[in-house]
Amino acid sequence: MPFVPKVSAYNAKINTLVIGTGEKALKLGGNNTLPFYEFDAVSENKPAIGVEISDLALEEYVQPGLKSFYEGCDTIPAMAKKAQEIPGASFIALTLASADPNGANTSVEDCVALVKEVADAIELPLAVAGCKNIEKDAELFNKISEALTGKNILVLSAREENYKTIGASAGLAYGQKVGAESAVDINLAKQLNTIMLQLGVSADAIAIQAGSAAAGYGYEYVASTLDRIKNAALQAADTQLQMPIVTPVSTETWAVKESTLPQEEQPEWGDPEQRGIEMEITTASACLACGSDAVILRHPESIKTIAGMIDALTEVK
Amino acid sequence: MAEITYLLENGEKVVVSAGIGNNLLEVARGANVAIDAPCSGNGACGKCRVRLVEGAIDAPRTSHISDEEYAEGWRLSCACKIEDDRPITVLVPDIASAYQSRIRTADLSDEREIKIFTDIQDHMNEVGLGISHRFDQVTFTMDEPTLDDTMPDNERFERAFLAAVGCDAVELSFHALRRLAAVMREKDFAVTAIYEKQAHRYLVYDVFPAGTDIKICALAIDIGTTTVTGALSDLTTGEILSRASAGNGQIRYGADVINRIIEQTKEGGIAKLQKAIIDETLIPLIDMMVRDAGIEKGQIVRMSVASNTTMNHLFVGASANSLRMEPYIPTFFRCPPVKAGNLRLPVNPLADLFIAPNIGSYVGGDITAGTMASMVWNKEEFSLFIDLGTNGEIVFGNNEFLMSCACSAGPAFEGGDISCGMRATDGAIEAISIDKESMEPTVRIVGKDGQKPVGICGSGIIDVISELFRCGIIDSKGKFVREGARVRRDAHDMGRYVLFESSESETGREICINEVDIESFIRAKGAIFSAIDTMLQTLDMTPEVLEHIYIAGGIGSGIDIENAIRIGMLPDVDREKYAYIGNSSLAGSYAISLSDAAYEKVLDIASNMTYLELSTYPGYMDHFVAACFLPHTDASLFPSVQV
Repeated sequence: MPFVPKVSAYNAKINTLVIGTGEKALKLGGNNTLPFYEFDAVSENKPAIGVEISDLALEEYVQPGLKSFYEGCDTIPAMAKKAQEIPGASFIALTLASADPNGANTSVEDCVALVKEVADAIELPLAVAGCKNIEKDAELFNKISEALTGKNILVLSAREENYKTIGASAGLAYGQKVGAESAVDINLAKQLNTIMLQLGVSADAIAIQAGSAAAGYGYEYVASTLDRIKNAALQAADTQLQMPIVTPVSTETWAVKESTLPQEEQPEWGDPEQRGIEMEITTASACLACGSDAVILRHPESIKTIAGMIDALTEVK
Repeated sequence: MAEITYLLENGEKVVVSAGIGNNLLEVARGANVAIDAPCSGNGACGKCRVRLVEGAIDAPRTSHISDEEYAEGWRLSCACKIEDDRPITVLVPDIASAYQSRIRTADLSDEREIKIFTDIQDHMNEVGLGISHRFDQVTFTMDEPTLDDTMPDNERFERAFLAAVGCDAVELSFHALRRLAAVMREKDFAVTAIYEKQAHRYLVYDVFPAGTDIKICALAIDIGTTTVTGALSDLTTGEILSRASAGNGQIRYGADVINRIIEQTKEGGIAKLQKAIIDETLIPLIDMMVRDAGIEKGQIVRMSVASNTTMNHLFVGASANSLRMEPYIPTFFRCPPVKAGNLRLPVNPLADLFIAPNIGSYVGGDITAGTMASMVWNKEEFSLFIDLGTNGEIVFGNNEFLMSCACSAGPAFEGGDISCGMRATDGAIEAISIDKESMEPTVRIVGKDGQKPVGICGSGIIDVISELFRCGIIDSKGKFVREGARVRRDAHDMGRYVLFESSESETGREICINEVDIESFIRAKGAIFSAIDTMLQTLDMTPEVLEHIYIAGGIGSGIDIENAIRIGMLPDVDREKYAYIGNSSLAGSYAISLSDAAYEKVLDIASNMTYLELSTYPGYMDHFVAACFLPHTDASLFPSVQV
């Protein structure tokens, strides 16, 4: 008897979130299958990869391969422009790490100026991540959203403590897209979406950021949470969980010892940069398999590899 | 050493010397100065405020004290360390010791409360668990002794008793013996004796001069973690003669059972905790009820206590330590027979003390007694019985099976853990509604007309949160999202809703509910709902199967079911299915105090009830997080709630 594949059709689908404008605008989500279940239905949109450019990149992107890729770029906007060349890059994720009041505490004005420069330098859509300080992020995103009105950027992210400010400015007043970041828990993710919707932010202006972790660092929680969110969105047709999932990977994986420990200290582990790339690839591929509609990565090698994986597993309409 | 003077608001003064580096709260506890510290001195609850009147003390300003208050000398006693040997004087405000608040004789004219009791008694009678005991009384006159008739008093009494009652053997109790001589001679050798018919003899519990109306009495007590209540009744008719309530004196050792168990393990702890409940709480409470009812202590010949497992361990003086550590083993489920005299209780020392049996470390006699009173065990339909105490306990079942679980809801339902929370006594705001347009509140306050507000009790807290949510003033996470004259923010941007300005309240402090209070309460209601949800789910059932839902607990005189459903605390089913049954633990205790059959029944209920340990149930945490939202993360569980 010939094998007849059984197709699981869902009546629900993930919202389509558009970031950027014009030709290079990027569509996230929009699918009605579990990740890479092309045998159930052909994907509407491929998962996307954002290239992380930290505003501290000039000092912090020290790995030889990474450094040589950005050779000759002496400003952040120049790096962002260069990053667009990486095969598979579909948006730029500028991270304002230096804004942290416990760190360099770069002023809001300087951050806004930098974001504008970057936005002007690139063609790909832009996502802007903050410094994780609740008050500072709220202020930053407010001003950035205002300054970049019309650019349709993705702001990463609003949290329970500052969603009112960020949702009202980025999401309502300035028409940008907003990530909703919660701890790694399906209920907390849904609760934040619910109150964002209650605030009036439109469902297709929200991306879920249900936390992330480097593989091996409590990643099981991330995997099962992403999995459950996708299932709730498709199987249970839960409209409050049908937003696409955006997962920052690089900020997690480049901070763990597998990526940072110098070779002298652990010679048998091999080249640190290669280890970092492998951590990034391992984590990103797992996130995508569990339901991330976009991942944010740093190293051109990892981006190339993950883009290859996405291409091999999808067959977009 | 420094000399510390605690000035109490009632004018009393306690002077004690303490070593440098000691903690002001600890010193107060050692000196028996009652300062309310529900968090056991972690600086978390902000209730242990004292005012520095003289001297200096090393104390940081905490978020519970405003700059203004700090300047006035207000400190959290748990954060105060004695710096040097200069004398210190602090004022302990009445609010700080409010838990010991005046023992309150419950108003017997509260028809609803009385009806709950009479209904329960009727139900018990219907099922054959009405008054049943072997006590009676007899009045007779003895021959006066003469020089020719020199029989001692006790033999004279016994001879006359046998003749009057018509029995073969009688024994005079030691307690009665000591009273006998005076009593006999008061009314020319005419006496009334209260006795119990025992298997081989009649035992005389007490004697009284004849001619007065001597009632045989029973005493029922409910020892809650926060509140202790009692009902004194006529053992012959069941009529309640007096009722009273008081704060549990153990509160100064912590608001929750865990802190008290820890305190009990310290040196002298068993005696200390027992003293706090018996000497400082029960004895004054019983004395008051006895006075109110116009009886003598010796007339109380039966007594029952319903309480959670920790409370009955601390009460009888058994170690509760293993209750708090895995695998959570109590000393007893069923306490062996004990006489009230063994525990120095001010009733007839021979009175049997019936202690309602426990079924688990966290499901105790208050629940077995409450389950009996709720009549869940006697119905074919499925019922749910929920006791909203310091812990929430839930019983589900019918006449074929009973299942229980406990969830740690915290003291929020009794006003604990809430900045302006209080028990449902005079001055408590027990019902609140808010106008959606003007955001102005309308309240009902416990007490006589003109009673100024003091704080908010459990039912009021449910109301205010539900109303704030309904009016769109707070979001589903309990955060303030609407601005208005009554919505204010502190320096840390924490929102609060002001019910009464400081000038309007009895204490001179503003009465409000803030975001931290709301968050605590959302956790409490989340614990209750997720426990119900989980328990039903283990049986593959949904709330639709429920025919009756009984709500018990000291959250106030009644609970607005609509409001409780709107915040997602109780299942969204037909409102008609709900019934408030007040303090069911006391009601059950009352039934036991009157009836051997009821005591047998409660033992039977306890031995047939299964216990579900939620903490080991894999899905519980998930249910709990989902329930910590207004009304619930899964809004489809609350179809009637419009968000």
